[in-house]
Amino acid sequence: MIYYFGTIVMLVLLAPILLSYIKAVKMVLLFKRPISLFQGYRNFSKLMQKETIISEETSAITRWAPFFILSPLVLILFFLPPVTQGSYYVSFVDAFTITGLISLSTFFLMLLGLDSASAFGGMGSSRESFISALVEPAMVLTIFSVSLMAGNLGIGQAGVNLAEHFPQEHMASFLFAGISFFILLIAENGRIPVDNPETHLELTMVHEAMTLDLTGVYLAIIESAASIKFIIFASLFASLFFPFGYRLEPVEAILFFIIKLFIIATIVAILEVNTAKLRLFKIPNLLGLSIVFAFLSLITFYVLGA
Amino acid sequence: MTDFLIGLFLASLIAALFTTRLYRLLLWYSLNSLMLGLLALGIGRNIDDNAMILTGIVTIVLKAIAIPYVLKNLSQKFNFIRHIVPEIKVQYAIMLVPAILVFTFYLSEPIVDMIHTNANYVAISISSLFLSLLLMIEHKNVAPKIIGFLSMENALFLLGVTATDGMPMLVELGIFFDLLMAIVVINLLFHKEELQI
Amino acid sequence: MMLTLLLLPAVIMFVVSFVKQERVKYLLAFTSFMILIPIVKLFLLSKPYNILGSYLIADELDTYIFLVSSIVGIGVTLALLTLDKHVKVSPNAYRRFYRFFAIFWVGLIFSILSNHMGIYWIGLELATLSTVYMIKTNYTAAAHKEAWNYMIVGAIAISLVLFGIILMYASAKPILGEEAMQFDVLLAHAKDIPSPFLFEMGFAITTIGMFVKMGFFPMNLWLANIERASFYPVAALFSGILESAVIIGFFRFSKIAMEVNYDHLFIFVFVYTLLTIFIVSFLIYRAKDFMRLFSLSGVEHMALIVMFWVSGAPFAALLHFGAHAFLKPALFLSSGVLESNGKYKIAGALKGFVGIKGNTFLFLVSLFLLAIISLPPSPMFFSELYGFGAMITTAKESNHILAMIGAILVLLILLSLIFYRFISIYQSMKYEGETKEKDVYWSEVVALIVFSVALLALIFPQTLEYLDSIS
Repeated sequence: MIYYFGTIVMLVLLAPILLSYIKAVKMVLLFKRPISLFQGYRNFSKLMQKETIISEETSAITRWAPFFILSPLVLILFFLPPVTQGSYYVSFVDAFTITGLISLSTFFLMLLGLDSASAFGGMGSSRESFISALVEPAMVLTIFSVSLMAGNLGIGQAGVNLAEHFPQEHMASFLFAGISFFILLIAENGRIPVDNPETHLELTMVHEAMTLDLTGVYLAIIESAASIKFIIFASLFASLFFPFGYRLEPVEAILFFIIKLFIIATIVAILEVNTAKLRLFKIPNLLGLSIVFAFLSLITFYVLGA
Repeated sequence: MTDFLIGLFLASLIAALFTTRLYRLLLWYSLNSLMLGLLALGIGRNIDDNAMILTGIVTIVLKAIAIPYVLKNLSQKFNFIRHIVPEIKVQYAIMLVPAILVFTFYLSEPIVDMIHTNANYVAISISSLFLSLLLMIEHKNVAPKIIGFLSMENALFLLGVTATDGMPMLVELGIFFDLLMAIVVINLLFHKEELQI
Repeated sequence: MMLTLLLLPAVIMFVVSFVKQERVKYLLAFTSFMILIPIVKLFLLSKPYNILGSYLIADELDTYIFLVSSIVGIGVTLALLTLDKHVKVSPNAYRRFYRFFAIFWVGLIFSILSNHMGIYWIGLELATLSTVYMIKTNYTAAAHKEAWNYMIVGAIAISLVLFGIILMYASAKPILGEEAMQFDVLLAHAKDIPSPFLFEMGFAITTIGMFVKMGFFPMNLWLANIERASFYPVAALFSGILESAVIIGFFRFSKIAMEVNYDHLFIFVFVYTLLTIFIVSFLIYRAKDFMRLFSLSGVEHMALIVMFWVSGAPFAALLHFGAHAFLKPALFLSSGVLESNGKYKIAGALKGFVGIKGNTFLFLVSLFLLAIISLPPSPMFFSELYGFGAMITTAKESNHILAMIGAILVLLILLSLIFYRFISIYQSMKYEGETKEKDVYWSEVVALIVFSVALLALIFPQTLEYLDSIS
């Protein structure tokens, strides 16, 4: 039990560092002096102390929506597969629940963007729903396919099964599901090549557009929601697709897990530096690839047994 | 290991179907051939067949390195269009590609009962054949058609390597010969077009 | 020894084509006569005769088809002597044509005489890829585009054939080992194949590849387009020689498939050919120039040959094949003269021939036109009669006699459509339009005489007995 809560607290505390780490790696690769890794915490405390101003045209949704955005994501933190061997885990959650919770959070983000009646907000919401419509089926299919391979529909138990018995005989479907989930990781978290998290230009922003005129507490909540979402995806990827290090001593297992998260963040950063952002209407090509791979993984496992 | 490489083979073929840049298409084709060559090397080492190891090495050298290089040079010499857009819109392609996959997998399902080993390899090579046919049909420019034809040869080779544990050397030589002759004829056809202007 | 004799004319042709003199073209035409020597010898030897181990075997079927192809080759090279009088072709292009013709011939020898599926495929691929370039010798934009189309479609077709061959090999490998690539071994052990479904799938894919190559549904028009865009000897080559290489593959594969599962084979091929003839007959009805007309009619005849072979009448199929292989190239070669007043002028094409040469030409071409629509005493008449009779006999044993009679009725209606069109074309050629003088040369007349003699030889009783003994 203690490892369970300890993991959750550690993930919450680690979330801002991970995003700052990605930014620091990008700056190092571009030969700039990197920002400090604790910049995420500094941003959070600065925003908490700032005065919160809300536009006059908004309704009550703008006051409530940020909490609705954060809470499903915090809830998912309780359902992730366990990191170490002695830890408690729940396993009544399957692919549909996780996808549903993430879409709930996205739904409230879209409502928030529409609420301020500004052009940017509406544009951001429409782009986000465009991307979301393609991401959701792929996510359901991918996680479902991995749970089938692991033999249990609950994510927690699936992670444990994969760690104990790596599916050597289903390598093809596993590979396809891995590729598909990686593309989803990039798309859902708004990284390049789907969305540029550092810009506020009309042409290139999707997530930033929906939160453009929020400040203070609300912005702090939404930024921490973004970092928690990234760490959720990264830890799902690490425990489902690289299920190594489960059997080590608890402290070593947790350390190994943190190292895996940082490796995934490094890969995302390297990909961001080397790729250009896709045009909005080319995004269906990339996400279509993800859907096809997820489907392929499912039918390769089911029909061929490979 | 075989499953992993075959998975990467099919993955690069599907990525080639969705791409819109010519040089990226050449990259996917060369990854495709690399996986095929590694597969031939792996299986050849398992069953101790020198002919297959040789063809694996020839595949890697010829199809993964030489042919994309030659095609890149050709495309620069004759100024091919580098932005290749498929005729089928992407939303229909997202539905069509899984439909083809399901169709070919179910086509080979009766074989699963009859052959105890490697039945799924036959299914994957049939689906690679159909997908490279789709690649040929869905582009209007000439370079993707050539790549589609070359991927079809790759699919044939995959079938020969995995389903039958190696074909007689004669037929493999024949496939390579066919490839070379096709490239020569392609070169001739382009050369004559240049002369005609 | 026999192999060198067979390959020698092709090698000589290849080497001689590099000589830059004008008179050399008579030598090139003569080398094609040389191929008759090993064939006659093959006829006299006892069959089956191993030419190269067990890779190339000459039995009765392929000796017959080889003889037919070489007679067609002789006729084509004779007519090639006066190619530049009818179309614009440079001497360089002419010589290059002969080089690729030599490679084509080598591929043909390997594919017709082979007993090994792999060698059959290599020969077929050599033949296909060399004909791509032969289309290009006509330096027009249409020829360039059609050469590309042919390259793509031909490559798809032979890749499908190879895929099917590998599947068939895989299905028989557990019991036969590496010998599963040979036709005679497969035929002997056809009932013992462990996974018939795999074999049937391989056969289906191979057949689709071969049908695409012959111009069946759904790729009916590509053959007509390439034959329109190239010279008339190339079209004659296609319909006479290349089709024979493909059809012997179909004959051999289908014999094995008949042992494995006759019902599936019958339904698959029957429906396919019926659909093809349905579409092609309407296309013929609308054809407006000679090349397209003849190539579509070639597709229809190939469909009939396939149908007769599968219905248990191999005699009819072989007779029909021989007659078609002589008539169609003759018609293609004569279209060089018939079109000398314009490509789309059908009216009056048979008028204006003077002198011995002209009148012989007129007589022979009219006979050929009437023979190809199966008017007696053309061999096609006999083959169709026998073929339809055999189809009814096969259907009598199963429960589907009514379906078969219905299908034959539909077939006869479609064939009568073609008949009507050909007769109306003949009438308009002979009786309408203006009379313009046309030049005919001796080489073409001799080629046509060669074809008509071969056609007459087909109706002799000894030939018919020989064909009966093959099946």
